[in-house]
Amino acid sequence: MYFLNVLEAKGWYFLTTLLGGWPETAGVAAASLVFALIVGLFIALLRLSRWRLLRFPAVAYVEFFRGTPALVQLFVIYFGLPDTGFQPSPLQAAIVGLGLNGAAYLSEIYRAGIESIHRGQLEASLSLGMTPASAMRYIILPQAIRTMLPPITNFAIVLLKDTAIIFAVGVVEIMALARNLVTETLQSAVVYLIAGAIYLCMTIPMARFAARLERAKRAWQ
Amino acid sequence: MLQLPQIYAENIRRWLPELLHFALTTLLIAALSFVVAVFIGLVLALMRTSRSPVSGGVAAGYIEVCRGLPIVVLLYIVYFAPPQLLPDIGWKWFTTLAGAVLGLGIHGGAILAEVFRSGIEALHKGQREAALSLGMTPAKATAYIILPQAARIVLPPVGNYAIGLLKDTSLCSLIGANELMNDAKSIAFADYQPMAVFVLVAGIYFAMSYPLSLCVRYMEARMRHGRS
Repeated sequence: MYFLNVLEAKGWYFLTTLLGGWPETAGVAAASLVFALIVGLFIALLRLSRWRLLRFPAVAYVEFFRGTPALVQLFVIYFGLPDTGFQPSPLQAAIVGLGLNGAAYLSEIYRAGIESIHRGQLEASLSLGMTPASAMRYIILPQAIRTMLPPITNFAIVLLKDTAIIFAVGVVEIMALARNLVTETLQSAVVYLIAGAIYLCMTIPMARFAARLERAKRAWQ
Repeated sequence: MLQLPQIYAENIRRWLPELLHFALTTLLIAALSFVVAVFIGLVLALMRTSRSPVSGGVAAGYIEVCRGLPIVVLLYIVYFAPPQLLPDIGWKWFTTLAGAVLGLGIHGGAILAEVFRSGIEALHKGQREAALSLGMTPAKATAYIILPQAARIVLPPVGNYAIGLLKDTSLCSLIGANELMNDAKSIAFADYQPMAVFVLVAGIYFAMSYPLSLCVRYMEARMRHGRS
Protein backbone atom coordinates (compact mmCIF):
# COMPACT_ATOMS: atom_id res chain seq x y z
CA MET A 1 0.00 0.00 0.00
CA TYR A 2 1.14 3.49 -0.83
CA PHE A 3 0.85 4.82 2.72
CA LEU A 4 2.88 2.01 4.26
CA ASN A 5 5.56 2.23 1.59
CA VAL A 6 6.10 5.91 2.26
CA LEU A 7 6.01 5.31 6.00
CA GLU A 8 8.66 2.61 5.71
CA ALA A 9 10.94 4.54 3.39
CA LYS A 10 10.66 7.99 4.96
CA GLY A 11 8.93 7.51 8.32
CA TRP A 12 12.06 7.68 10.46
CA TYR A 13 13.34 10.77 8.65
CA PHE A 14 9.96 12.48 9.08
CA LEU A 15 9.72 11.57 12.74
CA THR A 16 13.21 12.76 13.66
CA THR A 17 12.78 15.98 11.69
CA LEU A 18 9.44 16.75 13.35
CA LEU A 19 10.79 15.99 16.81
CA GLY A 20 13.35 18.72 16.15
CA GLY A 21 10.49 21.16 16.74
CA TRP A 22 9.55 19.63 20.06
CA PRO A 23 11.68 22.01 22.20
CA GLU A 24 9.91 25.02 20.67
CA THR A 25 6.45 23.50 21.15
CA ALA A 26 7.11 22.43 24.74
CA GLY A 27 9.08 25.58 25.55
CA VAL A 28 6.37 27.97 24.32
CA ALA A 29 3.69 25.94 26.08
CA ALA A 30 5.63 26.00 29.37
CA ALA A 31 6.59 29.67 29.14
CA SER A 32 3.09 30.83 28.28
CA LEU A 33 1.68 28.64 31.05
CA VAL A 34 3.88 30.42 33.60
CA PHE A 35 2.97 33.78 32.07
CA ALA A 36 -0.74 32.93 32.18
CA LEU A 37 -0.52 31.61 35.76
CA ILE A 38 0.91 34.92 36.96
CA VAL A 39 -1.23 37.31 34.90
CA GLY A 40 -4.34 35.18 35.49
CA LEU A 41 -3.96 35.32 39.27
CA PHE A 42 -3.56 39.08 39.12
CA ILE A 43 -6.73 39.41 37.02
CA ALA A 44 -8.69 37.06 39.25
CA LEU A 45 -7.75 39.12 42.32
CA LEU A 46 -8.77 42.33 40.53
CA ARG A 47 -12.05 40.71 39.62
CA LEU A 48 -12.79 39.73 43.19
CA SER A 49 -11.98 43.21 44.43
CA ARG A 50 -14.56 45.27 46.28
CA TRP A 51 -14.06 48.31 44.07
CA ARG A 52 -15.85 48.49 40.75
CA LEU A 53 -13.03 50.58 39.31
CA LEU A 54 -10.70 47.59 39.70
CA ARG A 55 -13.27 44.97 38.75
CA PHE A 56 -14.26 46.58 35.48
CA PRO A 57 -10.90 46.36 33.64
CA ALA A 58 -10.54 42.72 34.72
CA VAL A 59 -14.02 41.86 33.41
CA ALA A 60 -13.33 43.69 30.14
CA TYR A 61 -10.01 41.86 29.78
CA VAL A 62 -11.59 38.45 30.29
CA GLU A 63 -14.53 39.18 27.95
CA PHE A 64 -12.27 40.50 25.21
CA PHE A 65 -9.70 37.71 25.31
CA ARG A 66 -12.35 35.00 25.55
CA GLY A 67 -14.47 36.58 22.84
CA THR A 68 -11.83 36.72 20.11
CA PRO A 69 -9.79 33.94 18.49
CA ALA A 70 -6.25 33.35 19.77
CA LEU A 71 -5.02 33.54 16.19
CA VAL A 72 -6.29 37.13 15.85
CA GLN A 73 -4.63 38.06 19.15
CA LEU A 74 -1.34 36.58 17.95
CA PHE A 75 -1.60 38.54 14.70
CA VAL A 76 -2.31 41.79 16.52
CA ILE A 77 0.80 41.23 18.63
CA TYR A 78 3.14 39.95 15.94
CA PHE A 79 2.04 41.92 12.87
CA GLY A 80 0.25 44.80 14.60
CA LEU A 81 2.72 45.90 17.26
CA PRO A 82 5.44 46.83 14.74
CA ASP A 83 3.06 49.63 13.63
CA THR A 84 3.58 51.16 17.06
CA GLY A 85 7.34 50.83 16.81
CA PHE A 86 8.01 47.57 18.66
CA GLN A 87 8.91 44.42 16.74
CA PRO A 88 8.50 41.28 18.87
CA SER A 89 10.37 38.15 17.87
CA PRO A 90 8.20 35.16 16.88
CA LEU A 91 8.89 33.45 20.19
CA GLN A 92 8.05 36.57 22.21
CA ALA A 93 4.83 37.08 20.26
CA ALA A 94 3.81 33.44 20.73
CA ILE A 95 4.52 33.36 24.46
CA VAL A 96 2.90 36.71 25.19
CA GLY A 97 -0.06 36.02 22.86
CA LEU A 98 -0.88 32.58 24.23
CA GLY A 99 -0.05 33.78 27.74
CA LEU A 100 -2.42 36.77 27.64
CA ASN A 101 -5.10 34.59 26.08
CA GLY A 102 -4.61 31.88 28.66
CA ALA A 103 -4.64 34.37 31.53
CA ALA A 104 -8.27 35.16 30.72
CA TYR A 105 -9.23 31.49 31.02
CA LEU A 106 -7.04 30.88 34.07
CA SER A 107 -8.46 33.88 35.91
CA GLU A 108 -11.88 32.22 35.70
CA ILE A 109 -10.42 28.98 37.08
CA TYR A 110 -8.77 30.91 39.93
CA ARG A 111 -11.97 32.78 40.63
CA ALA A 112 -14.04 29.59 40.78
CA GLY A 113 -11.41 28.05 43.05
CA ILE A 114 -11.29 31.02 45.41
CA GLU A 115 -15.06 31.33 45.52
CA SER A 116 -15.35 27.61 46.33
CA ILE A 117 -13.68 28.29 49.71
CA HIS A 118 -16.27 28.98 52.36
CA ARG A 119 -16.56 32.65 53.37
CA GLY A 120 -16.09 31.64 56.99
CA GLN A 121 -12.45 30.90 56.25
CA LEU A 122 -11.82 34.50 55.22
CA GLU A 123 -13.86 35.88 58.10
CA ALA A 124 -12.05 33.67 60.60
CA SER A 125 -8.62 34.74 59.40
CA LEU A 126 -9.65 38.42 59.44
CA SER A 127 -11.01 38.07 62.96
CA LEU A 128 -7.63 36.58 63.99
CA GLY A 129 -6.10 39.86 62.87
CA MET A 130 -4.69 38.84 59.50
CA THR A 131 -4.70 41.44 56.75
CA PRO A 132 -6.89 40.58 53.72
CA ALA A 133 -3.72 40.03 51.67
CA SER A 134 -2.16 37.56 54.06
CA ALA A 135 -5.52 35.82 54.54
CA MET A 136 -5.58 35.32 50.78
CA ARG A 137 -1.95 34.22 50.70
CA TYR A 138 -1.90 31.86 53.70
CA ILE A 139 -5.51 30.71 54.14
CA ILE A 140 -7.56 30.96 50.94
CA LEU A 141 -5.13 30.20 48.09
CA PRO A 142 -3.47 27.11 49.65
CA GLN A 143 -6.92 25.53 50.05
CA ALA A 144 -8.19 26.71 46.68
CA ILE A 145 -5.20 25.24 44.87
CA ARG A 146 -6.47 21.71 45.50
CA THR A 147 -9.77 22.46 43.74
CA MET A 148 -7.98 24.28 40.94
CA LEU A 149 -5.37 21.67 40.10
CA PRO A 150 -7.48 19.47 37.78
CA PRO A 151 -8.85 22.38 35.69
CA ILE A 152 -5.35 23.89 35.51
CA THR A 153 -4.01 20.60 34.16
CA ASN A 154 -6.78 20.59 31.57
CA PHE A 155 -5.88 24.15 30.72
CA ALA A 156 -2.25 23.12 30.22
CA ILE A 157 -3.41 20.51 27.68
CA VAL A 158 -5.41 23.13 25.81
CA LEU A 159 -2.40 25.44 25.84
CA LEU A 160 -0.13 22.72 24.49
CA LYS A 161 -2.57 22.10 21.65
CA ASP A 162 -2.87 25.82 20.98
CA THR A 163 0.87 26.00 20.30
CA ALA A 164 0.08 24.30 16.98
CA ILE A 165 -1.08 27.69 15.61
CA ILE A 166 2.07 29.64 16.42
CA PHE A 167 3.75 28.67 13.17
CA ALA A 168 1.47 31.39 11.75
CA VAL A 169 3.66 33.99 13.49
CA GLY A 170 6.87 32.31 12.42
CA VAL A 171 7.85 30.05 15.34
CA VAL A 172 9.59 26.95 13.98
CA GLU A 173 7.84 24.26 16.00
CA ILE A 174 6.44 20.83 15.11
CA MET A 175 3.70 22.10 12.82
CA ALA A 176 6.02 24.52 10.99
CA LEU A 177 8.50 21.70 10.36
CA ALA A 178 5.64 19.49 9.16
CA ARG A 179 4.63 22.14 6.62
CA ASN A 180 8.24 22.47 5.48
CA LEU A 181 8.53 18.70 5.07
CA VAL A 182 5.38 18.65 2.97
CA THR A 183 6.70 21.33 0.62
CA GLU A 184 9.94 19.36 0.43
CA THR A 185 8.55 15.85 -0.13
CA LEU A 186 4.82 16.37 -0.98
CA GLN A 187 3.95 13.50 1.40
CA SER A 188 1.22 15.46 3.19
CA ALA A 189 -0.73 12.43 4.47
CA VAL A 190 2.19 10.67 6.17
CA VAL A 191 3.81 13.84 7.53
CA TYR A 192 0.66 15.30 9.10
CA LEU A 193 -0.37 11.94 10.54
CA ILE A 194 3.05 11.57 12.19
CA ALA A 195 2.77 15.12 13.51
CA GLY A 196 -0.65 14.24 14.90
CA ALA A 197 0.79 11.14 16.57
CA ILE A 198 3.47 13.26 18.26
CA TYR A 199 0.81 15.58 19.70
CA LEU A 200 -1.23 12.61 20.90
CA CYS A 201 1.83 11.18 22.68
CA MET A 202 1.94 14.41 24.68
CA THR A 203 -1.76 15.15 25.24
CA ILE A 204 -3.21 11.72 26.03
CA PRO A 205 -0.94 11.03 29.05
CA MET A 206 -1.67 14.55 30.29
CA ALA A 207 -5.41 13.97 29.91
CA ARG A 208 -5.13 10.69 31.84
CA PHE A 209 -3.24 12.52 34.58
CA ALA A 210 -5.90 15.24 34.73
CA ALA A 211 -8.63 12.60 35.01
CA ARG A 212 -6.74 11.00 37.90
CA LEU A 213 -6.41 14.31 39.71
CA GLU A 214 -10.14 14.84 39.19
CA ARG A 215 -10.94 11.46 40.73
CA ALA A 216 -8.60 12.12 43.65
CA LYS A 217 -10.30 15.45 44.23
CA ARG A 218 -13.72 13.83 44.27
CA ALA A 219 -12.42 11.27 46.76
CA TRP A 220 -11.51 13.81 49.43
CA GLN A 221 -14.40 16.16 48.87
CA MET B 1 2.77 57.15 16.48
CA LEU B 2 -0.13 55.08 15.24
CA GLN B 3 -3.29 57.12 14.62
CA LEU B 4 -5.95 54.42 14.63
CA PRO B 5 -9.02 56.73 14.49
CA GLN B 6 -7.61 58.49 11.48
CA ILE B 7 -6.76 55.23 9.71
CA TYR B 8 -10.28 53.94 10.35
CA ALA B 9 -11.84 57.19 9.14
CA GLU B 10 -9.97 56.87 5.86
CA ASN B 11 -10.42 53.16 5.21
CA ILE B 12 -13.44 51.84 7.03
CA ARG B 13 -15.74 52.28 4.05
CA ARG B 14 -13.52 50.06 1.98
CA TRP B 15 -12.68 47.50 4.65
CA LEU B 16 -15.89 46.93 6.53
CA PRO B 17 -18.22 45.76 3.72
CA GLU B 18 -15.61 43.29 2.51
CA LEU B 19 -14.84 41.99 6.00
CA LEU B 20 -18.53 41.64 6.83
CA HIS B 21 -19.05 39.71 3.63
CA PHE B 22 -16.40 37.22 4.72
CA ALA B 23 -17.81 37.21 8.24
CA LEU B 24 -20.86 35.61 6.60
CA THR B 25 -18.60 32.87 5.21
CA THR B 26 -17.24 32.38 8.72
CA LEU B 27 -20.79 32.05 10.07
CA LEU B 28 -21.60 29.61 7.28
CA ILE B 29 -18.57 27.43 8.12
CA ALA B 30 -19.51 27.55 11.79
CA ALA B 31 -23.16 26.66 11.10
CA LEU B 32 -22.36 23.76 8.75
CA SER B 33 -19.69 22.28 11.00
CA PHE B 34 -22.04 22.66 13.96
CA VAL B 35 -24.56 20.46 12.14
CA VAL B 36 -21.86 17.90 11.31
CA ALA B 37 -20.62 17.96 14.91
CA VAL B 38 -24.10 17.51 16.39
CA PHE B 39 -24.69 14.54 14.11
CA ILE B 40 -21.35 12.86 14.88
CA GLY B 41 -21.63 13.71 18.56
CA LEU B 42 -25.09 12.20 18.84
CA VAL B 43 -24.04 8.96 17.16
CA LEU B 44 -20.92 8.70 19.34
CA ALA B 45 -22.83 9.47 22.54
CA LEU B 46 -25.38 6.76 21.78
CA MET B 47 -22.53 4.35 20.97
CA ARG B 48 -20.79 5.19 24.24
CA THR B 49 -23.89 4.76 26.37
CA SER B 50 -24.83 1.53 24.61
CA ARG B 51 -24.03 -1.77 26.28
CA SER B 52 -21.93 -3.15 23.41
CA PRO B 53 -18.22 -3.01 24.33
CA VAL B 54 -17.18 -2.79 20.66
CA SER B 55 -19.15 0.32 19.75
CA GLY B 56 -18.34 1.82 23.15
CA GLY B 57 -14.64 1.24 22.58
CA VAL B 58 -14.71 2.65 19.06
CA ALA B 59 -16.46 5.78 20.28
CA ALA B 60 -14.07 6.17 23.23
CA GLY B 61 -11.07 5.85 20.90
CA TYR B 62 -12.47 8.39 18.46
CA ILE B 63 -13.14 10.84 21.27
CA GLU B 64 -9.72 10.44 22.85
CA VAL B 65 -7.87 10.90 19.55
CA CYS B 66 -9.91 13.85 18.30
CA ARG B 67 -9.76 15.65 21.63
CA GLY B 68 -6.03 15.03 21.93
CA LEU B 69 -5.18 16.52 18.54
CA PRO B 70 -4.79 20.26 18.06
CA ILE B 71 -7.58 21.48 15.77
CA VAL B 72 -5.06 22.79 13.26
CA VAL B 73 -3.39 19.40 12.97
CA LEU B 74 -6.78 17.75 12.55
CA LEU B 75 -7.70 20.27 9.83
CA TYR B 76 -4.43 19.59 8.01
CA ILE B 77 -4.96 15.82 8.23
CA VAL B 78 -8.58 15.98 7.11
CA TYR B 79 -7.90 18.38 4.27
CA PHE B 80 -4.57 17.10 2.92
CA ALA B 81 -4.44 13.38 3.73
CA PRO B 82 -7.53 11.80 2.07
CA PRO B 83 -6.77 12.93 -1.50
CA GLN B 84 -3.31 11.42 -1.18
CA LEU B 85 -4.37 8.17 0.45
CA LEU B 86 -7.25 7.52 -1.95
CA PRO B 87 -6.22 9.32 -5.14
CA ASP B 88 -8.62 7.35 -7.37
CA ILE B 89 -11.80 9.05 -6.20
CA GLY B 90 -12.43 12.44 -7.75
CA TRP B 91 -11.56 15.07 -5.11
CA LYS B 92 -12.73 18.09 -7.15
CA TRP B 93 -15.56 18.79 -4.73
CA PHE B 94 -13.22 18.72 -1.74
CA THR B 95 -12.61 22.46 -1.51
CA THR B 96 -10.96 24.23 1.41
CA LEU B 97 -14.46 25.07 2.61
CA ALA B 98 -15.50 21.41 2.61
CA GLY B 99 -12.26 20.47 4.37
CA ALA B 100 -12.83 23.16 6.98
CA VAL B 101 -16.41 22.07 7.68
CA LEU B 102 -15.44 18.40 7.84
CA GLY B 103 -12.37 19.01 10.03
CA LEU B 104 -14.18 21.24 12.52
CA GLY B 105 -17.17 18.88 12.49
CA ILE B 106 -15.02 15.83 13.24
CA HIS B 107 -13.35 17.66 16.11
CA GLY B 108 -16.63 19.05 17.44
CA GLY B 109 -18.23 15.60 17.26
CA ALA B 110 -15.77 14.37 19.89
CA ILE B 111 -16.48 17.32 22.18
CA LEU B 112 -20.25 17.15 21.80
CA ALA B 113 -20.23 13.37 22.31
CA GLU B 114 -18.95 13.92 25.86
CA VAL B 115 -21.46 16.72 26.43
CA PHE B 116 -24.36 14.59 25.19
CA ARG B 117 -23.19 11.60 27.20
CA SER B 118 -23.12 13.59 30.41
CA GLY B 119 -26.60 14.87 29.56
CA ILE B 120 -27.94 11.37 28.99
CA GLU B 121 -26.27 10.04 32.13
CA ALA B 122 -27.64 12.93 34.20
CA LEU B 123 -31.15 11.59 33.68
CA HIS B 124 -32.53 9.27 36.28
CA LYS B 125 -32.42 5.59 35.28
CA GLY B 126 -36.09 5.30 36.18
CA GLN B 127 -36.99 7.38 33.14
CA ARG B 128 -35.79 4.71 30.77
CA GLU B 129 -37.16 1.87 32.90
CA ALA B 130 -40.57 3.51 33.07
CA ALA B 131 -40.62 4.01 29.30
CA LEU B 132 -39.65 0.38 28.71
CA SER B 133 -42.22 -0.89 31.21
CA LEU B 134 -44.89 1.07 29.34
CA GLY B 135 -44.03 -1.08 26.33
CA MET B 136 -41.85 1.32 24.38
CA THR B 137 -38.99 -0.18 22.41
CA PRO B 138 -35.48 0.88 23.55
CA ALA B 139 -35.12 3.03 20.41
CA LYS B 140 -38.44 4.77 21.08
CA ALA B 141 -37.54 5.32 24.73
CA THR B 142 -34.30 6.98 23.64
CA ALA B 143 -35.95 9.12 20.99
CA TYR B 144 -39.07 10.26 22.88
CA ILE B 145 -38.12 10.09 26.57
CA ILE B 146 -34.34 10.32 27.02
CA LEU B 147 -33.13 12.69 24.30
CA PRO B 148 -35.79 15.43 24.73
CA GLN B 149 -35.00 15.68 28.44
CA ALA B 150 -31.24 15.45 27.92
CA ALA B 151 -31.45 18.23 25.31
CA ARG B 152 -32.48 20.77 27.94
CA ILE B 153 -29.62 19.80 30.22
CA VAL B 154 -26.96 20.03 27.52
CA LEU B 155 -28.13 23.36 26.07
CA PRO B 156 -25.63 25.58 27.99
CA PRO B 157 -22.54 23.42 27.31
CA VAL B 158 -23.55 23.10 23.66
CA GLY B 159 -23.77 26.90 23.55
CA ASN B 160 -20.28 27.13 25.00
CA TYR B 161 -19.08 24.73 22.33
CA ALA B 162 -20.70 26.92 19.65
CA ILE B 163 -18.80 29.96 20.94
CA GLY B 164 -15.53 28.03 20.78
CA LEU B 165 -16.41 26.79 17.31
CA LEU B 166 -17.05 30.30 16.05
CA LYS B 167 -13.59 31.35 17.17
CA ASP B 168 -11.99 28.17 15.86
CA THR B 169 -13.22 28.91 12.34
CA SER B 170 -10.34 31.42 12.21
CA LEU B 171 -7.99 28.42 12.06
CA CYS B 172 -9.48 27.46 8.69
CA SER B 173 -7.52 30.35 7.21
CA LEU B 174 -4.41 28.26 7.84
CA ILE B 175 -5.54 25.65 5.31
CA GLY B 176 -6.47 28.47 2.96
CA ALA B 177 -10.24 28.60 3.43
CA ASN B 178 -11.45 31.99 2.32
CA GLU B 179 -13.11 33.28 5.47
CA LEU B 180 -12.86 36.33 7.70
CA MET B 181 -9.34 35.75 8.98
CA ASN B 182 -7.94 34.97 5.55
CA ASP B 183 -9.49 38.07 4.07
CA ALA B 184 -8.20 40.13 6.99
CA LYS B 185 -4.69 38.92 6.25
CA SER B 186 -4.90 39.88 2.61
CA ILE B 187 -6.30 43.35 3.38
CA ALA B 188 -3.80 43.93 6.19
CA PHE B 189 -0.77 43.15 4.10
CA ALA B 190 -2.04 44.74 0.91
CA ASP B 191 -2.76 48.04 2.69
CA TYR B 192 0.18 47.85 5.14
CA GLN B 193 -2.20 48.35 8.08
CA PRO B 194 -1.93 45.14 10.11
CA MET B 195 -2.70 46.72 13.49
CA ALA B 196 -5.81 48.57 12.31
CA VAL B 197 -7.18 45.63 10.33
CA PHE B 198 -6.55 42.92 12.92
CA VAL B 199 -8.00 45.02 15.73
CA LEU B 200 -11.07 45.64 13.57
CA VAL B 201 -11.35 41.90 12.87
CA ALA B 202 -11.01 41.14 16.57
CA GLY B 203 -13.95 43.51 17.06
CA ILE B 204 -15.99 41.65 14.44
CA TYR B 205 -15.29 38.27 16.06
CA PHE B 206 -16.21 39.77 19.42
CA ALA B 207 -19.45 41.18 18.03
CA MET B 208 -20.36 37.69 16.81
CA SER B 209 -19.36 35.70 19.89
CA TYR B 210 -20.41 38.04 22.71
CA PRO B 211 -24.19 37.87 22.09
CA LEU B 212 -23.84 34.10 21.99
CA SER B 213 -22.04 34.05 25.33
CA LEU B 214 -24.71 36.31 26.86
CA CYS B 215 -27.33 33.79 25.70
CA VAL B 216 -25.37 30.94 27.28
CA ARG B 217 -25.05 32.84 30.55
CA TYR B 218 -28.80 33.48 30.54
CA MET B 219 -29.49 29.78 30.00
CA GLU B 220 -27.04 28.81 32.74
CA ALA B 221 -28.70 31.22 35.17
CA ARG B 222 -32.13 29.77 34.37
CA MET B 223 -30.78 26.26 34.84
CA ARG B 224 -29.37 27.15 38.24
CA HIS B 225 -32.74 28.40 39.38
CA GLY B 226 -34.33 25.15 38.39
CA ARG B 227 -36.32 26.45 35.44
CA SER B 228 -35.58 25.56 31.86
